[in-house]
Amino acid sequence: MTRGGPRLAEAWQLVLPLTLFFVVFVFAPLGLLGLVSAYNEPELRTMGLAQYAKFFGDAFNVNILVQTLSLALKTTLLAIAIGYPLAYLYTLAPRRLQRVLLLVIVLPLLTSAVVRTFAWIVILGRLGIVNSALQTLGWIDAPLTLLYTPTAVVVALAQIEMPLMVLPVITALTNIDPNLTQASAVLGAGRWRTFWAVTLPLSIPGLLAGCLLVFAAAASAFVTQTLIGGGRHMFMPVYIYQQAIQVYNYPFAATLAVILLVSVLAVVTVVNVLGHRSRGFVHG
Amino acid sequence: MGVTLDRVTHRYGGTLAVDDVSLSVQPGALIVLLGPSGCGKTTLLRIIAGLLGQSAGRAVIGDQVVDALPPNERGAGIVFQNYALFPHMTVAANVAYGLRARGAGRAAAADAVERMLRLVRMETLATRYPRELSGGQQQRVALARTLAVSPRVLLLDEPFGALDKNLRLDMQIEVKRLQRELDITTIMVTHDQSEALSMADRIAVMNRGRIEQFATPEEIYDAPATPFVAAFVGTTNLLRGRLAAAREGFRVELDGGGALWLREAAPCAGEGEVMVVVRPEQFRLDPEGVEGLAATVRMVLPHGPFIIYELSLADGTALKVTAGRGGVAHRPGPGDAVRAALVPGARVPVFPA
Repeated sequence: MTRGGPRLAEAWQLVLPLTLFFVVFVFAPLGLLGLVSAYNEPELRTMGLAQYAKFFGDAFNVNILVQTLSLALKTTLLAIAIGYPLAYLYTLAPRRLQRVLLLVIVLPLLTSAVVRTFAWIVILGRLGIVNSALQTLGWIDAPLTLLYTPTAVVVALAQIEMPLMVLPVITALTNIDPNLTQASAVLGAGRWRTFWAVTLPLSIPGLLAGCLLVFAAAASAFVTQTLIGGGRHMFMPVYIYQQAIQVYNYPFAATLAVILLVSVLAVVTVVNVLGHRSRGFVHG
Repeated sequence: MGVTLDRVTHRYGGTLAVDDVSLSVQPGALIVLLGPSGCGKTTLLRIIAGLLGQSAGRAVIGDQVVDALPPNERGAGIVFQNYALFPHMTVAANVAYGLRARGAGRAAAADAVERMLRLVRMETLATRYPRELSGGQQQRVALARTLAVSPRVLLLDEPFGALDKNLRLDMQIEVKRLQRELDITTIMVTHDQSEALSMADRIAVMNRGRIEQFATPEEIYDAPATPFVAAFVGTTNLLRGRLAAAREGFRVELDGGGALWLREAAPCAGEGEVMVVVRPEQFRLDPEGVEGLAATVRMVLPHGPFIIYELSLADGTALKVTAGRGGVAHRPGPGDAVRAALVPGARVPVFPA
């Protein structure tokens, strides 16, 4: 017990503004969303589960959800494949180089997602950097279709959300006691064994945190999905936008939003449970 | 397997951490590197283990120069100060780690693990995780893990620093037992002089990257080679004065008032300014006497079997004297005038000031 310091009974007032903010701008809209999704018709006349029945009754809708989650999953896997080595490199780099690397890693966060997305359009377009480079080299005759493909969306999203993967992994890696890897070396393990048996398992909590952030961000990345995907591939955020803004079917849009939210939350919960189990190994 | 260090020097950036250290450890001996923090003792240990490459000099294990060998090929096992147990592995997996890394089969490793855990009396806790163990138990596991790969040399970095006092003594006995039983050359680093005095066959006292004295605990305590060793090991009174030859020996006129007669003066016998090192137990109190240094009692600290008196000489110089509890008819109290005389036959080192 701390004496003399602020008590809980007094300190709760400090979070009052935040609480109000959350109630008004997060919980109330969410409640409203749930409420609107429970109307049977766009004119909000009778209540029921018709919208949910409509969603799950049509393979087209379910497929969009599957595509969205699969997009988020692929983005997460690519972010691991590129981000983990980068984070590992950062921890091995000398201090001066670390500062430069950190700037490079954080830089994407300092520009808006729209700007980053347009950068990818410039890179991947028919007359973009990649195509003109390949043509100049004479490796291809006609421009390749790089933009407006699902792969392009995954690649662009992985780059855009990369800091969310790299930063938690760096934190986890730098928290590993350097004596552990030295102990491993003295006991006879080579670099690879040390990495697989000691470093990687102990960095799992950070890796899972990174996966959560990237997955959730990728599943709801409206701008990138739309602009890089080019509208040819439908994902949940675009679908919601279409239903709400273009078709004025608020109940169905709300239903789509609730379903996306619940799906992402379910994934987050599963990963969190795994994370808690692995965190148990690391601390204690 | 012996260990020899031949003129080893190590620099961190611009600072000299280890300064031209030569040391020879006999096979099967337990030696202690003793010194204050930052004296270079842990650096030296890491150089032997191969975790640091020295700037100059050679390290030899057995009759093999190991400077070019990576840590895992040196045959030196190190137990870290914080034990560095793998937190995500069970006790058994920790102990098996080195064996598996060296290519032992599952069954062979399991046998060895069982044997090692029996050796450190941890066989019942094989399936626990490190976080479920006490400090002493973690240390036993760390020892078992290191010893499992049969190192030629055992290196211990501040092994008892994280243990509470009672456990510390138990583990000191345990480590000494293991060391004897396995007859393994052991180099231990500590800043705790009592730990060093009680465990070591020989002690290397280090200061500022150099070895001040390498000798048995008795010699270190009774015949310190330098003022630093005298001051660092045990409690001492450092008294300044002027040395002069006198009838049947030497006489030291103390700056603080009074004089001491010595039969011999070593290591410094030249006349002039000196520093005399007197252990508290080399003084005896003589309340009514006329001999010895005139002093006033400042404080009396009863310490169980003996009593520590804090005295001050005429000019205020503090003097510590210990006396047995029994046998004193009159026990002086604070403010009393007393005389502090050298115990007959006390060997008192004299250093040039």
